[in-house]
Parts: sequence; structure tokens; C-alpha cells
Amino acid sequence: MKAHVHFEDLMTAVEVAERVEHFVRTQFRVAPSDSRFSRSQRLFDMGYVDSVGVVELLAFLSKEFQVHLPDEAIMADEFSTIDGIATIVVRLRNNK
Amino acid sequence: MSAISLTGTLDPNFGWGDDRLHLSPDCRAAVPSGLRGAYACASIGAASVRLVRDPLGLNKLFWAPGRDGGIRVAARPWRLVEAGCAFEEIQAVPCGVVADIDLTGNGQVVTSLDAPRRRPGPDGESGAVEAIARRLRATLDQYCAALAASHPRSRAFVCLSGGLDSTGVLMLAIEHFRDVVAVSFDLLRDHGPPSADRQTAQRLARDFKLPLLEVTPTGDELLDGLDAVLKDGIDWRDFNVHAGLVNHALGRAIASARTAGACLVLTGDLPNEFLVDYHAEELNGRTYYALPKLPTPALQTVLVRGLDTSHREVGPFQAWGLPAVQVYAPAVDRYLELPDSLLADPRRKDNLCRHLFGERIPEYVYTRPKTRAQVGDVEVGRGVLGLCLDRGIDAAALRSRFAELHRLSDASALDRFIRAGRYRAAVPGMSRVP
Repeated sequence: MKAHVHFEDLMTAVEVAERVEHFVRTQFRVAPSDSRFSRSQRLFDMGYVDSVGVVELLAFLSKEFQVHLPDEAIMADEFSTIDGIATIVVRLRNNK
Repeated sequence: MSAISLTGTLDPNFGWGDDRLHLSPDCRAAVPSGLRGAYACASIGAASVRLVRDPLGLNKLFWAPGRDGGIRVAARPWRLVEAGCAFEEIQAVPCGVVADIDLTGNGQVVTSLDAPRRRPGPDGESGAVEAIARRLRATLDQYCAALAASHPRSRAFVCLSGGLDSTGVLMLAIEHFRDVVAVSFDLLRDHGPPSADRQTAQRLARDFKLPLLEVTPTGDELLDGLDAVLKDGIDWRDFNVHAGLVNHALGRAIASARTAGACLVLTGDLPNEFLVDYHAEELNGRTYYALPKLPTPALQTVLVRGLDTSHREVGPFQAWGLPAVQVYAPAVDRYLELPDSLLADPRRKDNLCRHLFGERIPEYVYTRPKTRAQVGDVEVGRGVLGLCLDRGIDAAALRSRFAELHRLSDASALDRFIRAGRYRAAVPGMSRVP
């Protein structure tokens, strides 16, 4: 699923997505040759991030972007992809 | 707002607040903002409904739209599924809320209870840990005294692994309850001595002159409880299911052993979360029960937050009609006051328990080797984990069976039911995403 990215957030969302992608690839050992992996791929359904990994991902987002993700945001369908996570992070940063 | 109805019964309440127990299933009276312990209720009237869930989320409460257009509330998702609700629409009542829902169309009022938060005391201050331990012990004593007074004819069954936490509960039970029975689990073995846990439990029972109920199921008998554990434990993650299997076996034996009289099951869980006393296990070259790679104080926050999910310590007993009490629950705030230096100490539990129980706990409990999680022994392959893997019941099989039991054709929907230690949650009639 492709997350909707607002134009005014575009640069920041892309930048956030880059950093999140780097973290996911490194932390969860995604093979560079994995052609299924993308920023619009569902991280949990496809097994890239498990129940332990999501906690590490949250800790990374909190530290890297200085945002607190409420439970509602974590459970949102949007939180399933890197693009979606980036959109949530940008929205939370803008609403601070 | 649609009509709201209760499906099945809720788990018994063992809440603690304003220095008194909150046992009633009716929560229309004031709920203390500092409520602790296991508590969930749904008080349903003609014009309004009050839903309450304790801040740690120890007691469970779920809801979903019913086929009749109304809202159904239950303590277990499987009950909602059996009543015709779709699993994908089931949500938990968020932990730590009092939700007053007006059924005449005037909306909802949601009040947040005080959430336990990490407030560490200063490091290096002489006597700081002793002072916290004194307050912690006082809370445990108050709670146990109140439990015993409110259940004067109940036999207290103490789940005794022989580790520090369960032995601590045994000491509290001996002090406050008149009729105490220790209960020990071990898997039946073809050869070799009983597990280290069993041997310690036997020694403790001898030393304190207590009856010991020895529960020694075969592998088949243990795994007979798997479906019940998945349903009443509300979880498919291997660590929790393995713990739930042990509790289900204990529950079966207690239910058989109890006479007509009332009983309480006292468990020593929670300090492992409060003190971050968990470790991954290695078996046959693979890692099981992995933990997030985080600094210890952050991991404490994660583990405490994660108590919202899984009912492994209460649900499997409740499946046998046995009320289980998590004795350490009311003391969570004291644990969260412990300084970072104590959390960094590999012997933190030993250190704290010496302050809490001193020489009342025999030295052989303090000095025994750490047994492996869900194993009861120092050898990881001999326990529930090894048994499940031998039978092909791995993490994927547990997840698949949980989905099947909840009539889910696509197990990936489970990723949107538990995430980061929380159930999908909302108050009925309110949007999930703010």
C-alpha cells in the first residue's frame, strides 16, 4: 500500500523515509538483493520486522526524530510501511 | 450510540487503590486515579455504560460490533468471535481508562488513570534502595493482608518455582494466609533427577512444613492445554504460550485438588518485567525468546508497557475457574523508583529480595543457579520450549493455530492486533486515530 504524502511534507517525509529505510535494512538484515523490499512494502506482514523488532524501531524513531508515537499511530495501518511511518513522523513533528 | 452487552463473564478483580482492595465487578462507584492491580469492568445500565481497565492492562476487556448492530464486550476475543463478531474488528478497551458512555447520544467521557512511570531515585544515595524496598514490602504486606481478610476461608495455592519471586510470594502467603499449599511444576522425565525447580520446591515445602502439590504432566498432557492457552492466554507468542502451558497444567491440578472450599492462586510473576530479569535462550543453534536490544531502563519501560498484552498468568487458571492473583502488581510504582545503578546490577533481584525478605528466604534460594525461562532447569532443552520444538510446535505453528481458533483465514491480521506490546485499542464510539 502506498502511503499518501502531503506536498508540504514531501522533502521531510522523503528524508525521514531514507533514514528509516537505512535503519530497517541494517537492523533487520535486509539483503541488498531483496527485490521485494521497498518503502511501500508492508514490514510486518512480510516478516521484515517482528514483534521484537517493532520495539527497536520505535526506540529508533523516538531517538532519531524526537517524537513520541502514541498507540493509535503505532496501530494505524499507515504504520505498516516505511513511507507510512515517515508520514506519521512528519505529522507528529509538525504538530509538536 | 448502539446498545452495549456483555458476552460471558469477566475475570475477577484484584485492584488496589487508596489503600484498599477493589474487588467488585461493578465499577459505578468512584475509581481511584492511582488504581493498581488487575481490574477490568463493564457496568452496563439502561442509559449509560462504564468501562474501566487498570493502568497496566493486567485484566483484559475487549469489544466489537455485533451482528445485531450493538456493541459486545467480553474478557476474551474468542468469546466475541463465537458470538459472531469479526476478529478484525475486535479492539481492547485501552488500559488505564475510565470510559463513561452515554447511550442516549450524548457522547463519551474518558478519564485517564495515573499510569505507572519510571521515576528512578538518585544513584549512589546511601540507603535509597533499602528505603524503596521498605515501602515496597509495606505495599505487599498491605495487599496480602487485605486479600486474606477478604477471603478468610480461601486456601492459598502458591505457584512455587523455587526462584526468588515465587519464594517471596510463599513467604507473604505464610505470613498472611491460614491455609497455604505450595504447587510445583515439572515435566515428567524418562530418566534423571527431577528439575532444579522441583527439588527446590520440595526443600522449601519441607523446611516450612507445607503441603506440596506436585504437578508432573507428560508432554502430551501438557500440550492438551494448547488451544485453551491460546484462547484464554490471548497470545500466540512462544514465550507467553510456553508460560501459559505451565500455568494451565498447574490450574488443572489445583482444580482437581481443591475441595469444595474457595481458593486463590497466588503467582510470583511481574518482577521479571519490573526488574528486566529476562534472557534469550539458545537451543540447537537458534535464539528463542529474544528481547529488544535496548538499554536496561528503556527495556524496563517496554516490558512494563507490554503487560497490556498476553493473559498467560491469569487466563489459563481462569479457564479452570480459578482466580489468580499477581501479588506483586500493586507495587509497580516502587519498582519503577529503583535507581539506574540497581537496574544495571546483574544481581539486582538478589539484592532487592534480600532487602524485601532478608533471611526469611533460605540462603539456598538466593544462591541456586538461575534456571532457564519456561524450563525449570539449567538445561534449556529439557523444558517446555524443547518439548514444543520436538513436536513441531514452533512460533509459526502457534501463530497459525491462534488465527484458526479465532476464525481468521489470514494470520497477517494478527500483526494489527498486537503491536509493540499493545493490543489494538479504542473506546467504543471513538475514533482510534486522533
